[in-house]
Amino acid sequence: MSTKKILLVDDSCTARLVNRMIFSQKTNYVLISAVDGKEAVERAKREMPDLILMDIVMPRMTGLEACRALKKDKETEKIPVILLTTRGEEQFVQEGYASGCSDYLTKPVNDVELLDLLRAYLGE
Amino acid sequence: MIGAGNGDRPPAKAGCWIAGEGNFSASSGTEEVRLRVQQLSLREQMERNHFLLVRLNAASARLIHSLDGGDVFDAIAETIANLIGSEEIAVFDYSAAKQNFSLAWSWGVEADALQPFLCGAGMFGRAVEQGTSQFKERQPKALLLPFEKKLTACVVLKSSREIVGVIALFGLLPQKNGLEWADYELLKFLETYAAVAIQFQRLQARQVAP
Repeated sequence: MSTKKILLVDDSCTARLVNRMIFSQKTNYVLISAVDGKEAVERAKREMPDLILMDIVMPRMTGLEACRALKKDKETEKIPVILLTTRGEEQFVQEGYASGCSDYLTKPVNDVELLDLLRAYLGE
Repeated sequence: MIGAGNGDRPPAKAGCWIAGEGNFSASSGTEEVRLRVQQLSLREQMERNHFLLVRLNAASARLIHSLDGGDVFDAIAETIANLIGSEEIAVFDYSAAKQNFSLAWSWGVEADALQPFLCGAGMFGRAVEQGTSQFKERQPKALLLPFEKKLTACVVLKSSREIVGVIALFGLLPQKNGLEWADYELLKFLETYAAVAIQFQRLQARQVAP
């Protein structure tokens, strides 16, 4: 079975660092990253990750806009997108699902919860 | 072997052998469950601790990264927002000689709401007076001043035992019910290392300034 690839999208260096540490120590997933929605869409088309883990509030293109763009594109529409954000209010959660995301997690991230969710989508 | 019995019995440690029945009583199953629960609890403890270390490592790496031309306040804000869960933060400078506070930086809080803190009353005053961070959850309600309603913590910034400032942490994100064990540890880390990073940045600014 080939190694699964995750595209992590976050403008926060701290968030990218902590997720990279969690993944590298506990999984065999390959992690690639982008710092905003625009880069995420480009990178997703180019690298076809198995899953996208994406923040919402980002410069240039938000996570919601990027998610909508990915779901509109035939090449990337099937890639599951998990939105990972500080915005836990109901309104934001609803907007998240309306953009086409598969799941929605709030920060601060809980490593067990995050890994369980990823395994549910990607397997071990 | 001492205590091994007559050789017909299985070792006593894994359950209760009932003579003549040729098997374990129900209590062996209960014991197994008890051991399993204990094991899971220890594993959880190890995992929790490991995750704390991951977060401390990320916070430390972020602060170090900010020393090379980045912004220390951004690093503090990112650490608190992503690892603790608050987007309402202010950093106050404290002058021990003048015994006064001044606002150094803020994020997500109205400037007007920060004015009353400059007098150094309440939790702020206690934090500096005692040299230890103060948390709303641990304060007697009677001691809280009206303007401290939204305050969650006053984290004393100490460099070489000298108090150089205070991080005021206001509202937590809606999904957070309060500070947790690991949050206190992260704030303890910031007490020292955020202070050192701020001082480093100030020295750098003085060197660059004509």
